Amino acid sequence: MMRDAAIDVRALRHSYGQREVLRGLDLRVAAGEIYALLGGNGAGKSTTLSALLGFIRPGSGSVQVCGIDPATAPQDARAQLAYVPESVALYDHLTARENVEYFLALARAARDRGTVIDPALDAVGLPGHAWDARVGGFSKGMRQKVAIALALARHVPVLLLDEPTSGLDPSATLEFNRLIETARDRGVAILMVTHDLLSAVDVADRIGFLSEGRIEEELVAGAAGARFDLNALHARYTGAKVSG
Amino acid sequence: MSAAVTRIAREEWRALARNRAGLIASMLLALLVLAAALVSVERRNAIESERARYQASVDHQFDEQPARHPHRMVHYGQFVFRPLSPLAFFDFGVDGFTGNTIFLEGHRQNSANFAEARQSSLLLRFGQLTPAFVLQNLAPLLLIFLAFASVSRERERGTLRLLLSQGVDGQRLLMGKLIGHAGIALAIGAPAFILLLGIAASGGAEWGAGLLLILGYAGWLLLWAMLAVLVSASVRRSRDALIVLVGVWMVGVVLLPRALPEVAAVRTTLPTRIETEVALHRDLKEIGDSHDPDDPYFNDFKARTLAHYGVARVEDLPVQYAGLVGMEGERISTDLYARAAARTAGLEAKQAGFVQSFSALSPLLAIRQLSMALSGSDMGAHGHFLDAAERFRYRFVQALNQMQVDQIPNTNAGEDPRIAAENWKTVPRFSYTVPPPPGLSDPRVLPNLAVLGGWLLALVLLALPVARRLGRAAR
Repeated sequence: MMRDAAIDVRALRHSYGQREVLRGLDLRVAAGEIYALLGGNGAGKSTTLSALLGFIRPGSGSVQVCGIDPATAPQDARAQLAYVPESVALYDHLTARENVEYFLALARAARDRGTVIDPALDAVGLPGHAWDARVGGFSKGMRQKVAIALALARHVPVLLLDEPTSGLDPSATLEFNRLIETARDRGVAILMVTHDLLSAVDVADRIGFLSEGRIEEELVAGAAGARFDLNALHARYTGAKVSG
Repeated sequence: MSAAVTRIAREEWRALARNRAGLIASMLLALLVLAAALVSVERRNAIESERARYQASVDHQFDEQPARHPHRMVHYGQFVFRPLSPLAFFDFGVDGFTGNTIFLEGHRQNSANFAEARQSSLLLRFGQLTPAFVLQNLAPLLLIFLAFASVSRERERGTLRLLLSQGVDGQRLLMGKLIGHAGIALAIGAPAFILLLGIAASGGAEWGAGLLLILGYAGWLLLWAMLAVLVSASVRRSRDALIVLVGVWMVGVVLLPRALPEVAAVRTTLPTRIETEVALHRDLKEIGDSHDPDDPYFNDFKARTLAHYGVARVEDLPVQYAGLVGMEGERISTDLYARAAARTAGLEAKQAGFVQSFSALSPLLAIRQLSMALSGSDMGAHGHFLDAAERFRYRFVQALNQMQVDQIPNTNAGEDPRIAAENWKTVPRFSYTVPPPPGLSDPRVLPNLAVLGGWLLALVLLALPVARRLGRAAR
């Protein structure tokens, strides 16, 4: 039996014109849980995030973020979540600190440098010398860290991550995984949309396979030893046959 | 106003401050406005003192004429120069095209001469460097370049999605952008506004006109800032926003204001100077010919004059009859000229009305008329000067005719009758006071402010659906 879900999606359907993208999606993520949503291109991952962010009004079904419907109360729902987009877009003319401070100001969140911003930048491993550098010269990985620092600094109950490890090198990916585990341990519900099977296996509590607009299969991490059968997952994900 | 709105607006200013090209362009335009204002003030003062000097010079020359027949002095005439209004530095309006000097003489109305556009290089015809020229033509272009990507770039970069995910709704986002660019627009106009306030504070111009000018130009600049932001929020790509906005600028600021007067001239044709002269000559002949001994009108005039003085023959009149005929002829021709001028003014008003009816389409027409009217350099101000000059011309000519009537003997005047040179000093002198600038309720002010206000209101109303779409456009 699942605890109260911070993210609760039921029988969600949505179409773009004639093309139905979500066909009865059911998805629940509890507080203190990392859910990795895997799926091929066009499976409906981004549409799911858009529905949670209140950017689209679903055709039918229900979406709740901490008990709030993003379609009818998008600002209230967004106040409960932080979002890290796949392609991290920041303001190139601002420094890392200024970017985080600006977005926190818009979110009406606490933004004290000493107690909020700097600890968040430090936590994501952004070198100190980069904090006051304009992000126009940052690599994709560094931008990703700034966006994650922003998400962590929001101190919200729900974290939506869109391909968070895309563009990160292996060690940065490991650092990132430890970060979101920390967030989970603080009770944050994390939905991670990803193609990165290794990362999903490393941190996820549950993995859902999204196909043709619904969860086709859902796996729960084992309590001990290997959390997931990586070979089986890989075969499941790529459609290859598993030997033995 | 919410904290998010002011924060977004402040962020636009910070982005401009850190964007060297945008900052330099804005500072250059603000400097250009300031330079144009200072140069125009200097130019206005120079023109004004030059006109005063010329007026004194021609008055002196008139006074120094030797003893002559008064009718020769009627044709010696007087030059009168149009003084500039205190705010003409802001917008020289039609002054460069209508001329500022009139030669006044008997029997005819001369048009104003020595328009600077006719004397100067061709370049002058494309607009003098005044604050009005910079604010009307160049400032909108700069505002377009600063704001065309204000929202569309957020969409293109992906920051729009991140902004909205922080809980900022489309309305606050758009309002922040609008306020940010409105602030930039007002900062661009600030040098001119400060100068206007300074001149009003120093007593150099009326407060009302200065404040109405500031109000009108503030509305004009805000209109472009708002338009640019809204177009940017309505299209997917910044490139599309730029194309649309430059197109609007070209049509509204360049094409329509220049094409419409041409269309108006074709729709309502003004008679040429020669046609007017021929028609007046014909009308004068129809009324009467003083040189024709059988002319019924002047025969009647003679009969009335003889009866008035109680004599039977012209030779018995105590005054010079030719002078009386001259005065009557002047009265008749002046009346005909006045009617012809009124007809022409009516046609010009019709042309202006046609052009002005498009101000809802091209608000430049509204700000242009408002600016010229408040600066005292519009056709209305020019017409006021022409009327005053014509009234003076009649008084001046009739004063000389009266001297002929009173001082030249009616009979046996000799071959070259003259009167003393001292008489010229008693002839009236042209004294013209620039009319006070129009007030808020003037038909050249209120309707144009209403057009600008209407545009701003329409843009505010348009912002509502654009903001709603923006809030959901980040999928």
